[in-house]
Amino acid sequence: MSEGFFDGFLDDYFAECEEHLTGARRALLALESSIGDVAAERPVIDELFRYFHSLKGISAMVELRPAEELAHHLEDYLRALRQREVAVTPVGIEVLEQGIQRLGAVIGAHRSKQTPPSTDDLAARIASLAALPGGLAAPAQSASAAASSGERFWTCTFVPTRELMERGIGVDVIRKKLAEVGRIVDAAPRVAPDGTIAFAFTVATTTDDREALDELMADGIVLELAGGAATDGGLLPVAQPLEGTHFGSVAPSHVVRVDMTRLDELIQSVGDLVISRARLVDSLSRIERHVPSAEWRAIQENTLAIDRQLRMLREKIMRVRLVPIGEIFRRMPFVVRDLARESGRKVTLELRGQSTEIDKYLIERMMDPVVHLVRNAVSHGIEPAEERIAKGKPPDGTITLSASTVGEVFTIEVMDDGHGIDAAAVIAQARAVGLPIPLDPSDPQALLALICAPGFSTTADADRVSGRGVGMAVVKSTVEELSGTIRLESTPGVGTRFFIDLPLTLAITDALIGRVGGESFAVPQGAVREVIEIASADVRALEQNEVVPYRGASLPIVRLGKLLGIAEEPVERFHAFVIGTGSAAVGLAVHRVVGHREIVVRAITDPLVKVAGISGATDLGDGRVVLILDPVLIVRLVCDRAARSVGDASTWGRMLA
Amino acid sequence: MHKVLIVDDSPTLRKMVRASLAGVAADLLEAATGLEAIEQLALSPIQLIVLDLNMPDMHGIDVMKFVRGHRNYKDVPIIVLTTRNDEASRRTAAEAGATTYLTKPFLPQTLATAARSLLEHV
Repeated sequence: MSEGFFDGFLDDYFAECEEHLTGARRALLALESSIGDVAAERPVIDELFRYFHSLKGISAMVELRPAEELAHHLEDYLRALRQREVAVTPVGIEVLEQGIQRLGAVIGAHRSKQTPPSTDDLAARIASLAALPGGLAAPAQSASAAASSGERFWTCTFVPTRELMERGIGVDVIRKKLAEVGRIVDAAPRVAPDGTIAFAFTVATTTDDREALDELMADGIVLELAGGAATDGGLLPVAQPLEGTHFGSVAPSHVVRVDMTRLDELIQSVGDLVISRARLVDSLSRIERHVPSAEWRAIQENTLAIDRQLRMLREKIMRVRLVPIGEIFRRMPFVVRDLARESGRKVTLELRGQSTEIDKYLIERMMDPVVHLVRNAVSHGIEPAEERIAKGKPPDGTITLSASTVGEVFTIEVMDDGHGIDAAAVIAQARAVGLPIPLDPSDPQALLALICAPGFSTTADADRVSGRGVGMAVVKSTVEELSGTIRLESTPGVGTRFFIDLPLTLAITDALIGRVGGESFAVPQGAVREVIEIASADVRALEQNEVVPYRGASLPIVRLGKLLGIAEEPVERFHAFVIGTGSAAVGLAVHRVVGHREIVVRAITDPLVKVAGISGATDLGDGRVVLILDPVLIVRLVCDRAARSVGDASTWGRMLA
Repeated sequence: MHKVLIVDDSPTLRKMVRASLAGVAADLLEAATGLEAIEQLALSPIQLIVLDLNMPDMHGIDVMKFVRGHRNYKDVPIIVLTTRNDEASRRTAAEAGATTYLTKPFLPQTLATAARSLLEHV
């Protein structure tokens, strides 16, 4: 028996399943938008069929029967659609969607070694659908035959050779290049009388881009305008164009799948290297005066080179972990459509920046929070159509989901053009559940803090729509766990925007090192807007706070030493990290900022050691372990007058010991 | 040294076939599409093809028809490896020129045995 023989391929299996399920979701959306357009439906049905067929085949190999059987039923239904025994209906789309979801659940359960959900109910539903009459008898006009206006047909012949292959030019590469220039209508192998094999593509294109065409010719392609005299140069056709041939989505080749744990190990190794390099620099600095200066210069040059190369290595490995945010975004049209249907609202979803890349780990963690924000936008943000018309807005609401990267910060934005957040209602609700009311209720950040407070829920939350997701409190805590921040902008009557800022990657980061008393602390550079020097004479007391003049206004300062119970000598001048912006800016004061380092973040996950305000620890290379502060959280905790939960001096003392 | 061409659009399945044939042939080539399979065939002498049927660009049946219609390749043995397990599919495959017809899921030993016996007669 093959017992266990294919077990080693489970990682490949799961990765491939993910690709097929993602492809199937995308194809299903395309199918839904082309219901009734038989010519457009056909290639999408073929594509969907193939995804289910592949899922069936590989599930059978790993002996995951429920997935195999469900994929088989779905395949049967698609075959019936393909053979036009039944027509595509909204109900059919819904069942296909459930099928994809259930397949994902079954495969996911197998992955986490849990009992897979039953598929019997769905199988029966699919079977009844496939048996329904209602097919259309008229054969479809081949979509590809009809050239849209301005298109011309080119016949492109490619003869593969070893030389071309060695240069990486094969039939698949050619096909992709042609697909960039136009629409591939037909692709088939041909044989010349001498037995030479060639591939003939027919491409419909509107382009007159000589450069693109010349580039193709440089790759050994013979281009000819089709439709005139004989164009095949003596090559005999042997294969007819295949029915249903299409090249909608060619899976990228030249792609290697790697298990995430292997990448983690790689990051770990680079982290060790960063620390070793720091140790080396430290040791070198101690022997500097014993080395002749010419020798020392050579050593210096080498360490600098290692520095640069290490940084490059780190950046390249980080890049490997990045995947397009589109993975999250692709599910959103389903979320929005379902909710809009349930709540009777009309909503258009716009996606922007789908190719923006983010760390794979962050993608997985951000899925639920983004879904929650989008759900909220549909159910609480967008007004019903009548209300919108009365306000002079277009009847369809728009939700925009966008992603962008600036420097090391990745931003996800969820925007709706609904009625904005009703500050009065939020405050009334906060009062009702006993939350402290902010001094300035018009400040969106204060509103956000209330909305995200555990226990807060608006009356509208009682509906089923948001009853099933994660709450805003979870959204916020997830973002903060990932060292990110969340911001809110809301204009009554105009709309709401949520911004989530996340660090691009987590494991290794640039940090500023500050000293207080005898201790050093690392502060991630991304959180610091500015480092300022403050003269002790400029510090003024304002109620219980200390403030200093800063850019024409005053900046409250929080003394890290005082917070941590570390004794400090009074000094004439000291440094502060400016954290946050505008009215939320706070200076985190230390004695001195002593430098800038690349640090390896070792997360503190032990709940017994975990202290709010400390995100991890790092080794600076000189043998000292230094705590990494989470300045945003510290400042917030201080501002919330909850400084005690930052951890009392004894907890910190224990960690430093 | 025997060269075997594995044609399947699923990378997982190609890997499984490769593992199954590890002891049978030293040189295992892969193609993810029908066109790529024909390209491989044109570029290097191949003694055995393991062929999936349902592929995106060119159906396995058409790949077989092409191979059988070409004077240089008409005698290359082809193992069809497919999920279709009905009589009609078997007949279509046989008519198109399949040497052996195996269904997925397959046992590695079965595939290895079939491949070994076909290669002995090359």
